[in-house]
Amino acid sequence: MSFEKANEILKEIEAAHPENADALEQFRIKYLGTKGVIKDLFGAMKNIAAEQRKDYGQLMNTLKVAAEQKHDTLKAQFSASSQSTKEKIDITAPAYTLNLGTRHPVSIIRHKMIEIFSRIGFTVAEGPEIEDDWHNFTALNTPEDHPARDMQDTFFLDEEKQRMLRSQTSTVQIRVMETQKPPIRIICPGRVYRNETISARAHCTFHQVEGLYIDTDVSFADLKQTMLYFAQEMFGKNVVVRFRPSFFPFTEPSAEMDISCFVCEGKGCPVCKQSGWVEIGGCGMVDPAVLENCKVDAEKYTGFAFGMGIERITMLKYRINDLRLFFENDVRFLKQFESAS
Amino acid sequence: MKISYNWLKNYLPIQNSVEEVSELLTSVGLEVEDVQALETVEGGLRNVVIGEVLTCEKHPDADKLNVTTVNVAGEAPLQIVCGAPNVAAGQKVVVALEGAELLPLGATEKFKIKKAKIRGVESRGMICSEKELGLRDVHEGILVLPSETVAGTSAADFFKIENDYLIEIGLTPNRSDAFSHIGVARDLKAVLNVRKNLNLKLQLPEITTWQTANTKRNIAIEVQNTEACPRYSGISISGVQVKPSPDWLKNKLKIIGVQSINNLVDATNFVLHEFGQPLHVFDADKITGNKVIVRNALANEKFVTLDGTERTLKGYELMICNEAEPMCIAGVFGGAKSGITESTTNIFIESAYFSPTSIRKTSFGHNLRTDAAMHYEKGCNANITIAALKRAVSLVLELAGGEVSSEIQDVYSTKKEKAIVEIEFAYIRKLSGFEIEHNTIVKILNELEIEVLEQTATGLKLAIPTFKTEVTRAADVMEEILRIFGYNNFELPTKINSSISLANEKDETKFEQTLANLLTGLGYNEITTNSVSQSAFEQDETLRQQQVKLLNSQTSELDSLRTSMLYGMLESVAHNQNRKAFDLAFFEFGKTYHKTENGYKEHKHLALLLSGNKMSPNWISTADKVNFYHLKQAITSVLSKLGIAQTIFAESADTALQNAFVVTKNNKEIIVGGEVANTVKSIFSVKGDVFYACFDFKALLNEFSQNKVIYKALPKYPSVKRDLALVVEKNIAFGTIETLAKKEAKSLLTEISLFDVYEGEKVEQGKKSYAVSFVFQNSEKTLTDEEVEKMMNRLVATFEREIGASVRK
Repeated sequence: MSFEKANEILKEIEAAHPENADALEQFRIKYLGTKGVIKDLFGAMKNIAAEQRKDYGQLMNTLKVAAEQKHDTLKAQFSASSQSTKEKIDITAPAYTLNLGTRHPVSIIRHKMIEIFSRIGFTVAEGPEIEDDWHNFTALNTPEDHPARDMQDTFFLDEEKQRMLRSQTSTVQIRVMETQKPPIRIICPGRVYRNETISARAHCTFHQVEGLYIDTDVSFADLKQTMLYFAQEMFGKNVVVRFRPSFFPFTEPSAEMDISCFVCEGKGCPVCKQSGWVEIGGCGMVDPAVLENCKVDAEKYTGFAFGMGIERITMLKYRINDLRLFFENDVRFLKQFESAS
Repeated sequence: MKISYNWLKNYLPIQNSVEEVSELLTSVGLEVEDVQALETVEGGLRNVVIGEVLTCEKHPDADKLNVTTVNVAGEAPLQIVCGAPNVAAGQKVVVALEGAELLPLGATEKFKIKKAKIRGVESRGMICSEKELGLRDVHEGILVLPSETVAGTSAADFFKIENDYLIEIGLTPNRSDAFSHIGVARDLKAVLNVRKNLNLKLQLPEITTWQTANTKRNIAIEVQNTEACPRYSGISISGVQVKPSPDWLKNKLKIIGVQSINNLVDATNFVLHEFGQPLHVFDADKITGNKVIVRNALANEKFVTLDGTERTLKGYELMICNEAEPMCIAGVFGGAKSGITESTTNIFIESAYFSPTSIRKTSFGHNLRTDAAMHYEKGCNANITIAALKRAVSLVLELAGGEVSSEIQDVYSTKKEKAIVEIEFAYIRKLSGFEIEHNTIVKILNELEIEVLEQTATGLKLAIPTFKTEVTRAADVMEEILRIFGYNNFELPTKINSSISLANEKDETKFEQTLANLLTGLGYNEITTNSVSQSAFEQDETLRQQQVKLLNSQTSELDSLRTSMLYGMLESVAHNQNRKAFDLAFFEFGKTYHKTENGYKEHKHLALLLSGNKMSPNWISTADKVNFYHLKQAITSVLSKLGIAQTIFAESADTALQNAFVVTKNNKEIIVGGEVANTVKSIFSVKGDVFYACFDFKALLNEFSQNKVIYKALPKYPSVKRDLALVVEKNIAFGTIETLAKKEAKSLLTEISLFDVYEGEKVEQGKKSYAVSFVFQNSEKTLTDEEVEKMMNRLVATFEREIGASVRK
């Protein structure tokens, strides 16, 4: 009796043609569900004579596999076709608008410079922008009436010219050396001021990064190596560095740093004004007078210092030709740096 | 500093090109900023030749013109129309050929000679006058040359036109030793001899070719201020004739941009640029009492300088006086009365050494930035006054005649001695970081005229020549050695020399980067505004009192440091609005500056600003005009990012802001903000709603650096959410409900949110309804319905009691 029924059901299963997902689900419930037909037939096993049970078991298995196969095949078919019937969309139409912000290019470069020097063990130090004569001039070996004071136009805050806006971040060197014992290995990014008329090439406010390394055996060759490392990290591995003797009151010997033009590789182009070289900053060995002003033993310690204009590096890096753009904050300008690094 | 390439070659026999010379000079610290090819006559008289007038006939159609044929030793004689009355056949003349470019004296633009038809007659060139050639300002028609002159000779050769280069050097303040042609030649010699292994010698001018003829014009010298004038030397010459200088001298000075005045002044200028020693010539007949007195000016003393300006002296100025009155501001500017004129016959030449600080003060004090002052300021060589004087005398005798009528007078109070410097080889090795052979070191020093007094195995004892006023220490000698050796002449170390330097606990860089990454992700653009601002922007009286004013600003638009971040940001808003960009979201890190009783203070901030639409609309996004809650979204994102919890926005007052708020943490204001008031926006012509917030950077940094993230076990028991509609008086803020709820439910309440606010006909007039949802959770167990119900009842009771709320059913 059960054999017959089982064979009938097998035929039923083979003949069944559920036409859609709903019908298929009905099919599943009817045959494969927990209260379905096949489960029932399995339950009838106990009524089967012992010698027939093996055959019956095989038949049950055939039945189950047939139902499952039909179900799975059709399910895959229906789900595929259900997708293709989903409304077609225009994938080329624009997305929901999401305005991405950008960092200011000067911040991007400032951060990059900090990262580059951090990798070789420099830490960041900062100092005040409103300074006194000692930190901005005198301690930096620029006593009153020294011609070097003419090199910069300073904004003064009092008639006695004792308080001013710092004209260079070198002031931070003094502040750090006055409060810390060597070794000192710092970079000092910050805002500086010069009393200059604003133009494409000059601004009364800009940013510098100053570097200082003081220890018992710091050499001019170390300085140049550090500057070469920086230049290559910032502008590319093929860049070379050229030092030119120069003058800063707080370093002796002093040098201006040029890098080979990273645009034309030294062949001459508008960026390097056909010279093949681009000036990126000043540097030198810390003048013993500066060390002594900060109560650092100049017999025991030597050190180097360097300074670079962040706007200058930014202008070179992104080929910006007008300083005023940095403070205008035109969004059309800022947006260009969305993907800059 | 202007250097003539040809003049330089007077002292050093070099063949190097001007490019090579420039590169070498730059490499030793005399930075060549510009090189210009120059001619003493503009255009160099190219395409101008000597010609012979073969025929000369009247122009058929013009009375005043002649038609000539001129042999210029070309293929055929040229037909040239000439308007000069003195042209005649047989003359040797100067002919500008087609293509020649002339700059006549007085003209500002060159003109080019072209083939032309003049009144119907072809003319192929121009017969020139001296003025047209740019030679001399005379009006005597065309220049007629001696008959033996050879036709076809180039005019440049005939007039000995010099091709020269002007080398512009940006002289640094420490290089007074190179502030002359000889000084530059000395460095050039040193670098060529050391780096190219040459053996060049400086060829200095002969300076004593003369003798004192008599002493009838002896001028006594009295120096009262020996500190400002350590040395004063002088000499008299009588019977000189003041006249124009010869061409060679004029040309030399012209190349370096010095205007020729007369033979005497030109001679002293020549010596200044040759030796670097300023000289001054007085009319000896105007030295009352035949005595020169060097003293300070009297306060309020009047003095008329060479330019005819009467100046009131302050008293610090050093003056060169005669027995009656001042004659000259020492080392800075001559006087109108005592200088030489065309009728001068007897002169006194001053060659002095003045202290740089004294000259600098006077030069800046009276804004007289003369050549002489520049030299004295940088520091001249006290020991060169006599040599320069002797050189000047020989030039004056050569150019102006006369006889030397005094001995050299010399008052030298404290002799400037050579500095003695000891330097160890080990120090050189340590400071440079590489090895330079001892022989090379000694050679460099010799080349620079630094005398090696002693040499031992370990070091050197050196005598520094007095012209190197800035070299006084081993570090200075080090620079001298290195710059001649070459800053780019050594191998770099392959290993890095570093020391341990611990990072700051409060890492501002990282902090700033964290905030910037968040804000850019939220759509804010970072801006940078000028901290130098306009004092009139500030609206708050207290802040106005605290403004840091700049005393020497060039413009009232930039006369003080900002006391608020707002104004600079609004300037940027205006800039963008004027360019049709209205949807603006800005952030800026920056400082404000305050002058207080306790001195100057600088506060760092993070400021946010929003205006326009939050999103630009497109087919799927709608325009979403920014409001306060967009700003608050950014603020709360920042606070979450920094782990700053439990903050409350409190109402506050601010002259520049409406709906102003303040957020405090540990009794410290960490954020202020609100909507920018119309009165403020109108100052900047800013349109639309603008929202602004300003964070105290250091306070945030402190909170951030204290923030420690420690894992808490995930909740094992489910949370329960309940909603409540509360009808309250309109003036009751949501914050009040939030505070009451947190106070009442304590840690059981994990979240409270506002999902609707309703005002309208369904609630009583003057009231509004808040739809609030509460999430409760107990970390110890599953909350039962009864417990939640109980808590909700307690909350409702609290709201009823404290704020008169009723529950809307």
